[in-house]
Amino acid sequence: MARLIGKPLKRNEDPRLLTGQALFVDDVELPGMLHAAFLRSDYAHARLKGIDVSAALEREGVVAVYTAEDMGDDWAPGPPLVIPPPTIEEVTFNTRTQVPLVKEKVRHAGEPLAVVIAESRYIAEDALDDIVVDLEPLPAVVDIERALDADAALVHDDLESNLAAHLVQTKGGYQSAREQADLIIKRRIVMDRGIAGAMENRGIVAYWDNKQQYLTVWDTTQSPIPIRNGLAGMFGLSEHQVRVIAPFVGGGFGPKIMMFYPEEVVLTWATLKLALPIKWIEDRRENFYATTQERGQVHEVEMALTEDGRILGLKDDFIHDSGAYDPYGLTIPLNTQCHVLGPYDIPNFSSELHVVFTNKTLTTPVRGAGRPHGVFVVERLLDIAARELGIDPSEIRRRNYLPNDVFPYDNVIIDQAFANFIIDSGDYLPAMEKALDMIGYKDFIENEQPRLRAEGRRVGIGVVSFIETTGVGPYEGARVTIESSGDVSVATGVGTQGQGHFTSFAQVVAEHLGVKVSDVHMVTGDTAQFHWGTGTFASRGAVVAANAMNAASSIVRKKILELASELLDAPEDELEIEDGEVRVADVPRMSISLGELAQKANPLRGAVEPGTEPGLEATAYFGPNYGATAFGTHAMIVEVDPETMNVEIRRYVVVEDCGTVLNPLILDGQVHGGVAHGIGNAFYEQLFFDDNGQLLNASFADYLIPTSAEVPTIEVGHTVTPSPLNPLGSKGAGEAGAIPVPALMAQAIENAIGEAGFEILESPMSPLKLFNLYYGDKEQ
Amino acid sequence: MKIEGEHLFNGSREEVWALVRDPEVLASLLPGTTDLKQLSESEYEGSITLRIGPVTGAFSGKIIVEDENPPESCSLVAEGEGKPGFFKGTGDVELLEQDGGTLMKYGGEIQIGGKLAGVGQRLIDMTSKSMIKQGMKSLDKVLAERTGKE
Repeated sequence: MARLIGKPLKRNEDPRLLTGQALFVDDVELPGMLHAAFLRSDYAHARLKGIDVSAALEREGVVAVYTAEDMGDDWAPGPPLVIPPPTIEEVTFNTRTQVPLVKEKVRHAGEPLAVVIAESRYIAEDALDDIVVDLEPLPAVVDIERALDADAALVHDDLESNLAAHLVQTKGGYQSAREQADLIIKRRIVMDRGIAGAMENRGIVAYWDNKQQYLTVWDTTQSPIPIRNGLAGMFGLSEHQVRVIAPFVGGGFGPKIMMFYPEEVVLTWATLKLALPIKWIEDRRENFYATTQERGQVHEVEMALTEDGRILGLKDDFIHDSGAYDPYGLTIPLNTQCHVLGPYDIPNFSSELHVVFTNKTLTTPVRGAGRPHGVFVVERLLDIAARELGIDPSEIRRRNYLPNDVFPYDNVIIDQAFANFIIDSGDYLPAMEKALDMIGYKDFIENEQPRLRAEGRRVGIGVVSFIETTGVGPYEGARVTIESSGDVSVATGVGTQGQGHFTSFAQVVAEHLGVKVSDVHMVTGDTAQFHWGTGTFASRGAVVAANAMNAASSIVRKKILELASELLDAPEDELEIEDGEVRVADVPRMSISLGELAQKANPLRGAVEPGTEPGLEATAYFGPNYGATAFGTHAMIVEVDPETMNVEIRRYVVVEDCGTVLNPLILDGQVHGGVAHGIGNAFYEQLFFDDNGQLLNASFADYLIPTSAEVPTIEVGHTVTPSPLNPLGSKGAGEAGAIPVPALMAQAIENAIGEAGFEILESPMSPLKLFNLYYGDKEQ
Repeated sequence: MKIEGEHLFNGSREEVWALVRDPEVLASLLPGTTDLKQLSESEYEGSITLRIGPVTGAFSGKIIVEDENPPESCSLVAEGEGKPGFFKGTGDVELLEQDGGTLMKYGGEIQIGGKLAGVGQRLIDMTSKSMIKQGMKSLDKVLAERTGKE
């Protein structure tokens, strides 16, 4: 078999993308298509006293204006996307899900109050001005540490407090570990994140064809099949009457897996009423309010260690901001809890979690999904411990890594899939050593840093480790078909948002079927092409979907060999599949092309034998028992300008272990993107709200996304520890780049400042925050 | 957002008081103010078109004068809403005799929301300061016309 898996092939999809030939939702144009605009609340918390749309309806070109009242019995809060965990005792979870249009109370700024459907978006936007809304402002819940105060306003009036969830997870006994400790590190750590900032905002085109009784929805979702199933259920349609297409999507990063967004429900409801296609494309400002975010956590943490720097235990009590609703359950904070344990041997652990409702946009996973928070906590504590104990930061990590012989390692606590958090495999030391070697750690510490310090320059180095749980179930599927042309067509349920699925999946298929990667035609994210699946999330495409491809193409290969053996009159083990044909090894003239075989497998006359299937096609599924855990080490060298506290990243090294690599070129691209995202999370991107829940930086002029000037050249190395959980041995990598960056940057900046007592316990940082932190207590 | 400041007028407290309680004068203070109407002794209604960085649009709203103690002090409540969002402010104005003129001390707090907050935030402070400065200048001018003092 030609080895295609692992080759750095250029992407099949790029010519279409780069020449503007790829279909995005906004490219969809249908005859008679109408356009929707949403009226959104300026207030974060307010009672809706009345809404008058009569003037808007009179505007020329307006077709309809709808409010919650118009939806009648079809108005209902969305179903929870993730059911809260049933597996731990005494968990409190108050499910409160988002609504299609506000009926009684606004719970975050930007929540939709009404929709205008008009002949053009211009008319629809103008008509929003004609709507008169009577909102009675209420005090807003903003500060997560005060959300549970007795006098706090209630986001949900029917609850006694703003508590969304409460649970405690333990492993071993922290208290006794604490009593044996030589050193206790106790800190308060604050983590915030921001928007995903995908290049393409959300968009939907929904069309109910009344004559065909068929609903088609183009949607920028990461999860087309569950959207299809959900819409069918909501509106009493058969799943076969609904087609959801997630075409090319310009970046997902998590928020596009959220369902159901109000706009998805409202546009579908409206097209069912009007029987005309309706388009809505989110604008950038709407995206800051209406697309889910990931935000604040406040941790009170304690780490108990021996004098030689071994962790005896860790206690992490934290509050997590859920925003106005909690359809995504506990995914983010459970990820945080698991990743606080990191790649380390932490025998005793205790973590109490409070999730609170606030009058802010809801939070759902954004690339990393709570993992950066957990990594930040444990890595910061290790750095502080290392300093107190006089141990090198790389050495303290080395002393605490889980050894190689413990895998699969059961961490006892439950993970986001509500199963025990088991690490399938790992080999942490080689990844760190490789990173130290690539960045020249020893030489920097011993020679370069002292030399530059002597010149008065503040240069520093950082090295942190991380794990990333990836590739969770339940399952994905793939259908692989040899067409009569000899080309291969493949369909899967996952959607694609730039991950290179059309290439890395094709490599897996082509490897089995002896065809060119460019002859494998991939369809992703179209429910008319593949009926089953969940979606693209949790760094799972290369694990779950790729292994389904692997399984389906193995079956097709078997079918090819069986039929060819019969036709060529040669035993199967003497056959080879190369260059799109089956040959008898050593007898090149005895061959048959895959196209011819496909035709013979699907004859027009004659009889297909009982028990056989026509065609060279197979559908297969893959579902892992639990997720595969990737890991790695990042290292960076920074220089801090002591006058401005601006930080320049001089070197950035990533050593990533995601098991078997399907396409190293694509992998490196994903790592680069992740690191860029992580640099934003660590130093630039933060949402600021005032006391009334008003977002104060809802544009790219004020919300900073790192540009090419802030993102350095990223040097990527690999170690390969295949996962035993799937035949390909793959693990996910889509989020890994972003996860350790805040922790790394904090360590490197501290090292550059190099002064006792200077500690970064907050992320994201910024030049201003760093300036205040450093100069706050000093005479200027 | 907090607003605070003072301005010295070349006129008596009574003259300044009469000035700021005159809707005609008030309307001329801020560029973009239209249809300012006096609803009652202490309540005004009108609209104003503002441009703050990328945010521009009309607000309609009202100003209520409370706790009047002529010619010494009063409190103001102003609120408005429009396509660019909303604002709501409360403030205190004090007139003190100083150097033969009148020192106006003002302080207050403004809440803003919607696009005004989300996109215009960075420029609000600067814009409001320059609007106040411009308003004081117009007041000085009208005062000079009325009193004949330069």
